[in-house]
Amino acid sequence: MSLKTLTMSHIRLISLYWSRYAVRSGSGLVYLLIALTFGLMVAHMLIMPVEQLIVQQKREMGRTDPVIIRNTIVEIGRPIALWILGEKTMGEIARENAARQRSGMNNPDGTSAQDDDASPWMSFLLEKKPALLSAIFLVLLFGMPFVISFLAYNQISGDVQSHGLRYLLLRTERSNIYFGRFIGTVLFSTAVTAIIVATITLYLGAKTRIYPAPELVVWATQGFLALALLMVPYIAVCSLISASVDSPFLSLVLAKIVIAGVLFMAILGGLAWKPAKYIKYALPWGWQCNLLHPEPAHWLGAVAACLAYTAVFLMLGYYRFERRDL
Amino acid sequence: MTHVVSIKGISKRFGRIQALNGVSFEVPSHSIFGLLGPNGAGKTTLFSIAADFLKADAGTIKVLGIDTRGISRLQGRLSILPQDAQFQRNVPILDQLVFFRLLAGRTKKQAREEVVHSLDLVGLKSFAKRRVGSLSHGMVKRLGIAQAFLGHPEVILLDEPTAGLDPASARQIRDLVKQLQEHATIVVSSHNLGEIQELCDHVAILDHGKLVLAGSVDEITRADREYNLCLSRPLQNSELEQLNSIEGVRSVRVLSHADANHNKRPVEYLVTLDLSADHIDQDAVIVPILRGVLDMGIAPRKLTEGRSLETQFLEVTGGQANQP
Repeated sequence: MSLKTLTMSHIRLISLYWSRYAVRSGSGLVYLLIALTFGLMVAHMLIMPVEQLIVQQKREMGRTDPVIIRNTIVEIGRPIALWILGEKTMGEIARENAARQRSGMNNPDGTSAQDDDASPWMSFLLEKKPALLSAIFLVLLFGMPFVISFLAYNQISGDVQSHGLRYLLLRTERSNIYFGRFIGTVLFSTAVTAIIVATITLYLGAKTRIYPAPELVVWATQGFLALALLMVPYIAVCSLISASVDSPFLSLVLAKIVIAGVLFMAILGGLAWKPAKYIKYALPWGWQCNLLHPEPAHWLGAVAACLAYTAVFLMLGYYRFERRDL
Repeated sequence: MTHVVSIKGISKRFGRIQALNGVSFEVPSHSIFGLLGPNGAGKTTLFSIAADFLKADAGTIKVLGIDTRGISRLQGRLSILPQDAQFQRNVPILDQLVFFRLLAGRTKKQAREEVVHSLDLVGLKSFAKRRVGSLSHGMVKRLGIAQAFLGHPEVILLDEPTAGLDPASARQIRDLVKQLQEHATIVVSSHNLGEIQELCDHVAILDHGKLVLAGSVDEITRADREYNLCLSRPLQNSELEQLNSIEGVRSVRVLSHADANHNKRPVEYLVTLDLSADHIDQDAVIVPILRGVLDMGIAPRKLTEGRSLETQFLEVTGGQANQP
């Protein structure tokens, strides 16, 4: 096995061909539909209460109150951020919400009752940055790894099963096929992520007009980069699985089991035995939220972790692909 | 005689099944080489190892002097029609083949021209913009052949190239293969023994993963060269004896399905020659036979080469021929 066999022109051709025809193959189309539906549904569920509040305020007061709107958004985003950032468990969040409802929602000065105990990270996401977009990004960071396997599961296995790869094997190196298809999948995933983020950002900027456009665009760009980068190690996991089995269906099932299984084992195992929660570091689950961290050391660490996971999974997959019968 | 493909001691096992067991033979340059064998004999496995799709457990295959484990060094020089590989169903065939040529370093224009030419050779030019999913089985087979002929490969492996084709298309492909022999060495596997005998100058016969016979078709069939001879009337016993006594004639017998008792109908005979002695030439036997028949006042209606290779095949494989 040698990476010296990589040919950049072949990788470019294969990745472009793969991303171009990914939509035509079932997996690309399915991913496009599922990712768009998931991303836009998340946005809809988080934006809708705010839109309803704006309509209500306009009807009752003839204008909107930015402070109340901001606090409402923070109230929506806070439990999401607390849970996804791992600062509190679902039970703690539920108990806290119940206590908050009993004691009244806001302080007399209009600030949120929970602002006092917010961590700097929470404050950064919900107060310094457009909170609605932050909440959407957090849900997408959590949910998109489950969705990405619909695109990435079939990088190799389908063509192994149909023997379609055999038309390519005398025309280029296995390494070029493997890495070319990986890059093609990343390109396609990035394009879909860009469509989702651009749609949500445009809607927030043009329709709700809660945040200034420059602030929205800058944060949307950061969020897009975080999401796009996060998909890369998960695509690499799928590359490894897809290069190891012959059946695309088995590849999809295994990808789902591995990606979701690691997280659920960490969550459920952590309840029974605390060190089990570290299972989540088998995949980028333990790092990925840091991509939206205010401290450069943290988000740079998350970037490095994503790249390291990608390198490990890719090389394992390549090792297997290079040696196997096709 | 130079050899462009050299197979030495190839073995491959799939679980409990020994697909190939120490297979060795060589393919002469610019020959059309037939690889024969019953189902499961290991033909496709051997092709797959030659193209590095499968890894051999033991042995080496060299194509043009290059070990196929370093298959990249054969890019553009070796091509294959895999038996059961599928194209992408939803992508136009032109796009798929142009992509293959782009990988070979052609410009889009060059690639397109080469692909259109190759599709034209197999009669698919007018289908270039169609998706593979809309083509019939025979058309997909011809598409596979077109991709194997793309560029100017020096060695072409064709795994059952005419299987599933109608007779006219099969004839077209055979003619194409014969034309390509001038520029390339072609290895063909087939169940159609008549086709192999017509097309190939050398053959290897595999059975249960082992090589049971290899050599030129001429050499292999010398000991039992068969001809079908159709005569205007049946031969009398004395006439038969006269033909049987010609040097180089092993036997002359009426074919079982012919009606030898009907005096006015043409009757077909199977003439088996034994050309194993070096001094006996095929024509030196055929001419006396025809002369003898004419002297008997019988008009030969037809003389065609028989299934000599099939006889050999049945003998070495224990009668497991798969005729189309």
